[in-house]
Amino acid sequence: MFIVISYDIPEDKRRTKIHKILKSYGQWMQFSVFECELTDAQYAKLRSRLSKLIKPSEDSIRFYFLCACCQPKIERIGGEQVRDDTIFFA
Amino acid sequence: MGTVYVSQDDSFIGKTDERLTVKAEKKQILDVPLIKIDGLVILGRATISPAAVIELLERKIPMSFMTGTGRFLGRLEPELTKNIFVRRSQWDAAGETPKAIHMVQAFVRGKLKNYRASLMRHLRDYPDNDLQKWIDDLERAIDSLATIKAIASLRGVEGHGSAVYWQAFPKLIRADGFSFTTRNRRPPIDPVNAMLSFGYSLLRHDVQGALNIVGFDPYLGYLHTERYGRPSLALDLMEEFRPLIVDAIVLSAINRKAIAPKDFTSEPLSKAISLSNEARKVFLTLYEQKKQSKFKHPVMGRQCTYQEAFELQARLLAKYLMDETDKYPPLVMK
Repeated sequence: MFIVISYDIPEDKRRTKIHKILKSYGQWMQFSVFECELTDAQYAKLRSRLSKLIKPSEDSIRFYFLCACCQPKIERIGGEQVRDDTIFFA
Repeated sequence: MGTVYVSQDDSFIGKTDERLTVKAEKKQILDVPLIKIDGLVILGRATISPAAVIELLERKIPMSFMTGTGRFLGRLEPELTKNIFVRRSQWDAAGETPKAIHMVQAFVRGKLKNYRASLMRHLRDYPDNDLQKWIDDLERAIDSLATIKAIASLRGVEGHGSAVYWQAFPKLIRADGFSFTTRNRRPPIDPVNAMLSFGYSLLRHDVQGALNIVGFDPYLGYLHTERYGRPSLALDLMEEFRPLIVDAIVLSAINRKAIAPKDFTSEPLSKAISLSNEARKVFLTLYEQKKQSKFKHPVMGRQCTYQEAFELQARLLAKYLMDETDKYPPLVMK
């Protein structure tokens, strides 16, 4: 499933940690916004890792699920390019 | 899901959080989530951290090691599956058994039919090319397969069919500067052979991975005899894919001028020819695109990618060996 994740975390240290975790699951698109293509199990794991880290009183993380028919309708102007997942070179 | 190719010499492959990172010359050159990876191919010299090795093994991601020019060195992969029944049926069929004969017939038929299809496709696009006699020759070889019941003779038909195909192969090359007289390897001494060999190495990485997922012992084959360190079953199953994947992309790379004769360097003593760094990337991209391209599987009747087809064919093979089906259908494309 395709998920847009946005977060609002006032403390720098915690925000960096959250950012690092999210980088393992998806692509950083904008400040505080990630796009992830995940299976149910991967989503569950990500969610549990994040929920252990945040302070619910101050922080917030939102998960927006996009259905398959909405996904191609995303429009983008400028900014980060979508990564091609079929091949990686180094 | 994708494959990671590390071709930067002296790079360091490590793990950060749940990502694979590659560093070279103190710069990070790659950072990808492990959940996006289903294979790692290391070309040339690279260091891989113990943590990364453990993580890759636990996630059942195979690693292949090749020299910079694409000669296959070895492979590190997760434990064989616990499915002993597949392996036992594989061993039971070894030798000159009816099952082995059926499978060898199928492998050879798959390969030769795909050879013939690729010649016929070329003839359709370029009717003035005189390919008909080779197509007829392949046709006769394919027809004779069903009646031959000795594996040694089947190997002979395979050898003959391949020889016919490689005779016709130069006619399929339409770009200037490339010449192909005969297939040579160890080392390949012209650009076309260098690309073919490199492609077959990559294909072997993928086919052997698929056999492992299904639970086969890749070292016991039927068409290819047992030899120390030779993954015979992987080579067997590769036969039907060679023309479909590797030969096709080599030809399209040449004919669409994605790779030019200047993209090759030659070794002074052995005359071995290898691809330049840039051209190797072009070739790897073509290979990966081909693997991810979709087609309708003729037996399963549904859309799949070649990547999936490796595993599908391996599973069909397992089903045949375990008496769940009465035929092994090789992947033949029209």
